Amino acid sequence: MELTPRPIEPAKKPRKWLPIILLTLVGLGGVVIVTQFLRSAIDYYCNVDEIGVRSGCEETTRLRVQGTVEQNSLQKIGSNTSFVMTFNNKSINVVYSGDPGGIFQECISVVAHGRMIDGTFESNRIEVKHSNEYAEKNADRIESSGSAACSQAQG
Amino acid sequence: MSQVSQETSPTGTRATQAIGVLALAVMAWVVASGLLLTPQDVVQGESVRIMYVHVPSAWIAYLAFVFTAVASAGWLISKKHSMGFDRFAGASAEVGVMFMAITLITGSLWGRLTWGEFWQWDPRLTTTAFLFVTYIGYLAVRRLEGSVEQRARRSAVVALLAVLEIPLVHFSVVLWRSLHQGATVLNPNGDVKMDDLMLFTLFSGVVGFTLVFIWLVLHRQRTMLLVDVADNQGLDLAIVARRAEGPAN
Repeated sequence: MELTPRPIEPAKKPRKWLPIILLTLVGLGGVVIVTQFLRSAIDYYCNVDEIGVRSGCEETTRLRVQGTVEQNSLQKIGSNTSFVMTFNNKSINVVYSGDPGGIFQECISVVAHGRMIDGTFESNRIEVKHSNEYAEKNADRIESSGSAACSQAQG
Repeated sequence: MSQVSQETSPTGTRATQAIGVLALAVMAWVVASGLLLTPQDVVQGESVRIMYVHVPSAWIAYLAFVFTAVASAGWLISKKHSMGFDRFAGASAEVGVMFMAITLITGSLWGRLTWGEFWQWDPRLTTTAFLFVTYIGYLAVRRLEGSVEQRARRSAVVALLAVLEIPLVHFSVVLWRSLHQGATVLNPNGDVKMDDLMLFTLFSGVVGFTLVFIWLVLHRQRTMLLVDVADNQGLDLAIVARRAEGPAN
């Protein structure tokens, strides 16, 4: 009589796909919520033409406003810097308390932090929003880096 | 530990040596070209040179996290659950976190020079920081108590979820209004507005950083193998020692 124990077939475990699929769906759901429903909360700034128009861009609150420094509008008034900021054919006057320094110049996009007071945007912080274009600085050209930004902005 | 080093291969091979030498050569070119040969940018001036480190390190961090996810999926799907997949996933994530840290540090320096701020909670910076913290969490999960199989299973699930953040980070500048500039090379229009030598140096940086990534991951996953072997041998030795004690009273 053959009494050798028969080899036992290992029971096949069902693959646990359900938790993986559920976790993936939860992750994708999170992405959809963040991208579709939190847009206005996540946007870093309001554009110049949206002040007082778009929700979250009310004139009565402190704002971060984005626009381009208008050519030939930059002025130093005492310790302040004044310029016109434009976006989508809408302009506002900006007075910044100090000298922005760095690569701040005409024709460059900036984000100004501040408040609208009597039709003027009084700012105490300016961030330069540089473009995604990179070109050689040519010493032979007559134009300064300021006008170079203007020619870059004009394409 | 001496037993381990005698019985297993060292982490270096001829292939890794070749990759290491090639990586050094390409990185030497990137440093020379980035600092000396490429021109100043017409608007940003000298600060543009940070780009040759910042952009490649960001791309390679993305690549590392994608590899982590692919290897994790490989571990979950494969019937044998080969631990090689898990070690590769862990090694790639560690190196990816290092490159992500380089991205954040160089980005912060670049931001100070252009925006005037080291940091702003804008969409790109915030999602990048979130991605970085997520993968720190992934590395923490890998160090939880448990068997190597438990480690592999837990971390694989985390890796497959974490990788979903990458599109969110990359497209954050398109989805939302960000202080960070839009993509130059991978822009939707396909119109790359960059000086030729700047672009060539940038791609050289990508090649150089990729070679460094491969070299580090190969060495790291072999080190992980040695640690796993040492752990197993430690367990075997403990069992042998226990048996030598004879039956319990």
